Amino acid sequence: MPRIIGNPKKSFVTGNETAAWACLVAGADMMFGYPITPQNEIMHYWTRLAPKHGRGFLQTEDELSAGFTVCGSVQCGKKAFTATAGPGNVLMQEPFGMAEAMRLPLLAIIQQRGGPSSGTVVYSQQEVTLTTFGGNGEGMRIVYSTASHQEIYDYTIKGFNVAWKYRFPVFILGDGYQAKMREPLEMYDPEDRGIEMIKPYPLIGLEGKISAGREPQHLCNIYSLEEELYEVVMKVAAEYEALEDTIVEYDEKYCNDADIIIVSHGVVSRAADDAVKALRAQGIKAGYFRPITLRPYPRKQLRAAIAKSGAKKLLIAESAYGQLDRLTKQEIFGENVKIENLFKPGVGIIDYDIISKVKSVL
Amino acid sequence: MLAPAVPKSWYLPSKPHKFCPGCGHGIVLKALGEVIDELQIQDQAIFGCDIGCSLLAWDFFACDSTQTHHGRTTPVMVGIKRSRPELTCIGYMGDGGGYSIGSQHLLNAAVRNEKVTLILVNNTNYGMTGGQMAPTTLPGQKTETSPYGRDPETTGYPTMGPEFLAELTPDSAYIARATVSKYKQLKKYLKSALKNQMEGNGFSFVEVLSTCPTNWRTNAQQSWNFLEDEMEKYFPVGELKNPLGKGDK
Amino acid sequence: MSFSINSTGRIIEAYIGEYASGKSEMAINRALDLKNQGRQVTLVDLDTVEPFYTLRTLKKVLEAMGMKVISFAREDSFGLGETGAMLNPKARWALMNEGDIIMDIGYGVQGAKTLNLVEGANESSELKILAVINGTRPMTDSKEKIREYLTELGRVDAIVLNTHLGDETTVEIIKMGNDLIQEVGCEMGIPIAYMAVNEDLHELVPAEKYAMQVKYIKRYMPGAMW
Repeated sequence: MPRIIGNPKKSFVTGNETAAWACLVAGADMMFGYPITPQNEIMHYWTRLAPKHGRGFLQTEDELSAGFTVCGSVQCGKKAFTATAGPGNVLMQEPFGMAEAMRLPLLAIIQQRGGPSSGTVVYSQQEVTLTTFGGNGEGMRIVYSTASHQEIYDYTIKGFNVAWKYRFPVFILGDGYQAKMREPLEMYDPEDRGIEMIKPYPLIGLEGKISAGREPQHLCNIYSLEEELYEVVMKVAAEYEALEDTIVEYDEKYCNDADIIIVSHGVVSRAADDAVKALRAQGIKAGYFRPITLRPYPRKQLRAAIAKSGAKKLLIAESAYGQLDRLTKQEIFGENVKIENLFKPGVGIIDYDIISKVKSVL
Repeated sequence: MLAPAVPKSWYLPSKPHKFCPGCGHGIVLKALGEVIDELQIQDQAIFGCDIGCSLLAWDFFACDSTQTHHGRTTPVMVGIKRSRPELTCIGYMGDGGGYSIGSQHLLNAAVRNEKVTLILVNNTNYGMTGGQMAPTTLPGQKTETSPYGRDPETTGYPTMGPEFLAELTPDSAYIARATVSKYKQLKKYLKSALKNQMEGNGFSFVEVLSTCPTNWRTNAQQSWNFLEDEMEKYFPVGELKNPLGKGDK
Repeated sequence: MSFSINSTGRIIEAYIGEYASGKSEMAINRALDLKNQGRQVTLVDLDTVEPFYTLRTLKKVLEAMGMKVISFAREDSFGLGETGAMLNPKARWALMNEGDIIMDIGYGVQGAKTLNLVEGANESSELKILAVINGTRPMTDSKEKIREYLTELGRVDAIVLNTHLGDETTVEIIKMGNDLIQEVGCEMGIPIAYMAVNEDLHELVPAEKYAMQVKYIKRYMPGAMW
């Protein structure tokens, strides 16, 4: 693949543009999408860039269709992606479920907006439950929650490789603020960082003629017997769990001695980072823990942080009414730590909010 | 100064309305308001709005009204009509909501000859999300997701809604295409579409060609030219089905 | 063609340019400047895609200073669920206001055509259309791309050099980007209106070292939630 960026350089960009460029340099072949705020500029930039680089785009009739066209595209060996938000993410749970069931390596960028229903178009962290455990399945997905444009770029590139290597659907979970925010980004071609992009490969439409002896492929997505499905799900679960240590990512600061650990993800973790520094400067022993992958969740690492810090409390801060909270509680069940929360559904959280909350509970 | 005459069925606290200057929605809603007055159905009308610019009409009328979901106004109206047939259900949507994300509902409601009235405003783009390509975008027309012009080779030709709905419906359905440039005709079609529902005949549908200066980036003259010279040539205006009497096709 | 930012007559300027190129920042700074000179100023938000209504507090500050601001406050236009492209009816008649008019124009495939929405803009002899360009934006980071972009824009009376990299701006970055833009401007016969530099870099980028007008600006967008 010819290099697109050339010499790595810093650019001043928005998060949506970042996502479009990252998909381009990662070698994505196709985007399927449907207009929904706040992800529109991903499509706007992809439709400007794609024809210049021989890539494809289709604006489908809705998000169900966008999700399923991506499923079809990856089945026949193309690196395909979509981007959506809010009610669009709800509709895409049906195709995302198919991707989970059939182990299809699709990549979806989710720019969370306010909910429930049409909610707001602005911002939230209310699509955590949906993106990690949506659909009638077991949440066999890989979800990266990004906090900066650089991370949107890096994890989108990585996400394609993780998807195609392990064959689980991958989600880049951003939000409306990250989508619209402007900040510097270092753009690069993956090969210049020693990242080898995994070549996509077809699951159907394989090379060779069936009439000349090639085995036909029959991809299965429904089972007649309970036992059959049971075996399939158990096998997938085992494979997923075996990968956890490889895939899990997190960030941890000041947890060697902390009375309280602030757990947050995505853009809120930027405020948590500032808050912890400010609290430390005031002599308050606060720690910082941020799951970067929400699925699989860095449960061992958070348990270890609690153990070594001796923290008596966790403060879970999120722009939702307890979605990270529920996720975290189920992952660290049994820990002897009191859990406080700072829930601001659909509203931004700044360092001041966290500092005040910490002071009020210590 | 005399206040401008406004339909009795308008909800005055929501005026002035929120549509952009030069937008055609205001004309459609004025005609609809007058028709609601003339048919005296303010108390029995249920007005349902899609998501998109049509949503800005959600508190336009002093009628019971509900917002729905993008593309889902048709089934919400059908649910109401099936449960309370004495109500007159008016679904109001854009070309994206009706012909794209809500197309399966539109198609199946037509096939079942659901006794609701649907008004679909066609302005050739997704206005509210910032001017993306719609099913009705004309060949060669530039939008945010067809920045080099709509190419029918890869994205097909504009959806001809009334034409395909006419194929799907029995003769008791009312199907028409109007334009905001012909007000009297628009009003007549809307009235027929409501009467057809009220008489219990069947599915009633009016597509209305309309203007979107904000996303077209056109001044008054250019907007009108695009409507009359481009859109009305591509999308023929007239009644395709009228069980109430003779059509004027 | 020449361009002077110190005109004594009525000033009507439209800031156009690529997405996130700095149109709103330029328009706000310019309007503030003129206001501080004791002039009567109307600031008009014509960015239908991303209006600067996120700068709610700023709108109030500007209005408190006596500046007329034509834009949607978020609370005026919201409560409507889905939202995005909207045009404030007052913006259509913006040129009817007395005094200086500074307009922030939206981006998009139709970009500068947004001026069609302003009554009298096409006939105005006072109107200057200024293209804001940041040489670190991916779509305008080479001479070829800048030329392609300027050509697409249509009428441009002058260019505002706005190369920066947010918090990571350096003198070298400014120079590298602005040199490219200037060369293209020169080749296309489009004058430079002024160079915008973050006020924090005043000492590193002294105005007297440049042959063009240098305008020290305050960046307001980082103060918005996004």
